[in-house]
Amino acid sequence: MMHKLTLNNVSKAFNGVPALNDVSITVLSGRTHALMGENGAGKSTLIKLLAGVINADSMSIFRDKEHIRITNTIDATSAGFRFIHQELNLVPEISIAENILLSKNLPTLFGIQIDWAKVYRKAELALEFLGATHINVKSQAGVLTSGDKMLVMIASAFVAEEESSPYLYVFDEPTAALTDQESEMLFSAMTKLKEKGAALLYVSHRIDEIMKVCDDISILRDGVLVKSTEIKNLKKAEIIKFMTGRELKDSYPPRTASMSSKKTISLRNIETDYLKGITFDLKAGEILGVTGLAGSGQSSLLKLLVGVGKALSGDATVLENSLAKSPHDAWSKGIAFIPRERRSEGLCLEMNVRENVVLSHLKSYGFHAKPKLEQSDVEMLAGQVKVKYNGSHQPVFELSGGNQQKVLFARALKGAPELLLLDEPTRGVDIGAKYEIYTLVRELSDNGCSIIISSSDLPEILGMCDRILILSDGRQTGLLEKCSLTSGDLLTNIYSSDLR
Amino acid sequence: MQKLRQSGTLIGFVLIIAFFSFQLPDTFLTARNLLNISQQLSMLAVVAATMTIVMVMNDFDLSVGSMASLSGIVAASLFVNEYSIWAGIGAALLVGLVGGLFNGILVSVVGILPFVATLGTLTVYSGAAFLLSGGKTIFGRDIPKSFSDFSRGGIEVGSIKIPMLTITAGFVIFVCWYILEQTNFGRRLYAIGGNREASYLAGIKVVKLRMLAFALTGLGAAVAGLMYASRVASANPTQGAGLMLDAIAAVFLGMTMSKQSEPRVIFTLIGVLVLGVLDNGMTQMRVDSYVREILVGLIVIAAVAVSSISKANR
Repeated sequence: MMHKLTLNNVSKAFNGVPALNDVSITVLSGRTHALMGENGAGKSTLIKLLAGVINADSMSIFRDKEHIRITNTIDATSAGFRFIHQELNLVPEISIAENILLSKNLPTLFGIQIDWAKVYRKAELALEFLGATHINVKSQAGVLTSGDKMLVMIASAFVAEEESSPYLYVFDEPTAALTDQESEMLFSAMTKLKEKGAALLYVSHRIDEIMKVCDDISILRDGVLVKSTEIKNLKKAEIIKFMTGRELKDSYPPRTASMSSKKTISLRNIETDYLKGITFDLKAGEILGVTGLAGSGQSSLLKLLVGVGKALSGDATVLENSLAKSPHDAWSKGIAFIPRERRSEGLCLEMNVRENVVLSHLKSYGFHAKPKLEQSDVEMLAGQVKVKYNGSHQPVFELSGGNQQKVLFARALKGAPELLLLDEPTRGVDIGAKYEIYTLVRELSDNGCSIIISSSDLPEILGMCDRILILSDGRQTGLLEKCSLTSGDLLTNIYSSDLR
Repeated sequence: MQKLRQSGTLIGFVLIIAFFSFQLPDTFLTARNLLNISQQLSMLAVVAATMTIVMVMNDFDLSVGSMASLSGIVAASLFVNEYSIWAGIGAALLVGLVGGLFNGILVSVVGILPFVATLGTLTVYSGAAFLLSGGKTIFGRDIPKSFSDFSRGGIEVGSIKIPMLTITAGFVIFVCWYILEQTNFGRRLYAIGGNREASYLAGIKVVKLRMLAFALTGLGAAVAGLMYASRVASANPTQGAGLMLDAIAAVFLGMTMSKQSEPRVIFTLIGVLVLGVLDNGMTQMRVDSYVREILVGLIVIAAVAVSSISKANR
């Protein structure tokens, strides 16, 4: 008989910024339900709520008529929810079998001695269910290829359980690290789970894959459910439209000054440990977008330009010079950088706004610290980027995400950079602050600053950039003029470049 | 809650002074005893102040104690071989600087955890001190009189004489305070402590600065070693042994008093005073010195616990 898992009125806000707003979804047993949306649409938040990792502002879950409460991860497990995460969380030093059984008690003899034969057997059965019989459960997890590691991670959700049979499986981008062949193994295992009567919630960015393996689909955009239906009712183009469908017209400030012909960057066939075939020119005032599937080398490219890592081959001219040798070198040449992870890579959270803004420019203040002068400089910059704060002495951990990002912009602006590198500049930033950031970027570009924006937010890339560089697995697979591109064209390009 | 944490150490300090003044009404709060405390404390103050420089970056240096012993032995060995006072002092300071730089290279360039790296050099420097001295105390006629006279001297201010060791410590504390709080060099160290990766990406020369900071800490340890040798007119390969733990304890105590639990030289000084006053008072009250050790250990744990709890509560 068919069971029904209903999520009602799910809402969650982080620091006042809503991540999910009154979302209700019904997942049926024996079916695969796709959860789609752009980055930041709220998919991960929804999964974390189901897993009990974070707590909702409001949420009620029903299994048929039975009310299920989830406040922590133990609740989620006992409710019969199983999760397959996209991150590889294996312990490399212990055996594959132990990794597969990591979240469970190992079977024992007389309650004391570990029953290794049983441990291995259980792990082997889980792998067999997935069809991954080529993996030796006795060897160390560290030796596996990344695809096999993912299979092991997935298998750990399939360990046979005596007490209760799992009711809902949640797959969070499981195929991101898998080859086509390995993906097929996963899909046939999913079919077996469905036949056993489990409900499957499937998150992926790969639309073709979703259309192939899923029965139902729910699409989130900016934390709101925009569509929930059977997948056969939708075409690929419609899915993309639902995912990206926000009005783009007024949210991106247009270019007002014409670009000069002065070249600031010229890269030819640059190759590093990870990147291959990077070739592009950048003019003063031009904005280049860099995009691709998550982890395709966007951050590596920006970091290379800021002096982290080395080019193994190829020619590079950056601001009439070679590639920066270190971040110190880059900043002193007029290259400013706003990293992807603002909390771990950008800010000293416990230090105040003033100290964070001047961090890259202490040299210009000489040997002896000059707090007064710094303060007036910082107040001017903070006004320019519209930081909302209680004064430059406020520690940055007290600021919201958007304002923290503006502090980093103030730092970047301070040196009047000729080249500005932005890695996901609006991630975790609310809509209002986003627009202010776009305005700022546009002003800089109009004043002749070359800008590179790496972003997985396609409307942002399309709205702000003059040209778009597409990366796949570290390789440059496209360099598109924006002109008449649509979000859909771009998505098609990104995904087709990923076909192996 | 934060206010309580920030003022807790200071309140404790006042209570300790009140307790000893009450228990030892005739001897404790006298100019003579206070000057005595300041002199007893001077070596620890120097080591703790320079230890603050590395602890600002979330690093620490376990080798300061054996570096202090080594520097004393180096100077004394040169004196034995009839080198001049300045040669002895210069060589000892150089050893401190180079030894500290070596710590810095291990931590910053090679990338060994400070705990492991300086635990290793602790043993190395201590072994070198034993090797150089043949395991014996160097004393007597070998130590020039003018060297040991330094620590007997002082500057008369009215009716009291401020000991030279106290003045030396004051000078070192001032220099550390100036470097950390008033220069952009110090600001960079605090930034590294705040977030090393962010500082690196913001263009701070993290590797070089960490090396330099360790070199300064090593130099501070060597200064303390010389002060000690002058005070006891001898050099012994184990005489700096107690300094390391007390110095780290003092910095931790001081950290409870600052806003974001970061080390500050001024607060380190208060940490040193707490330990010194406890030491002096308990000695006068004839409390077993082992009891003092238990107490110091408990104080450090309490100080760190307070900092951790207040951070976790955020």
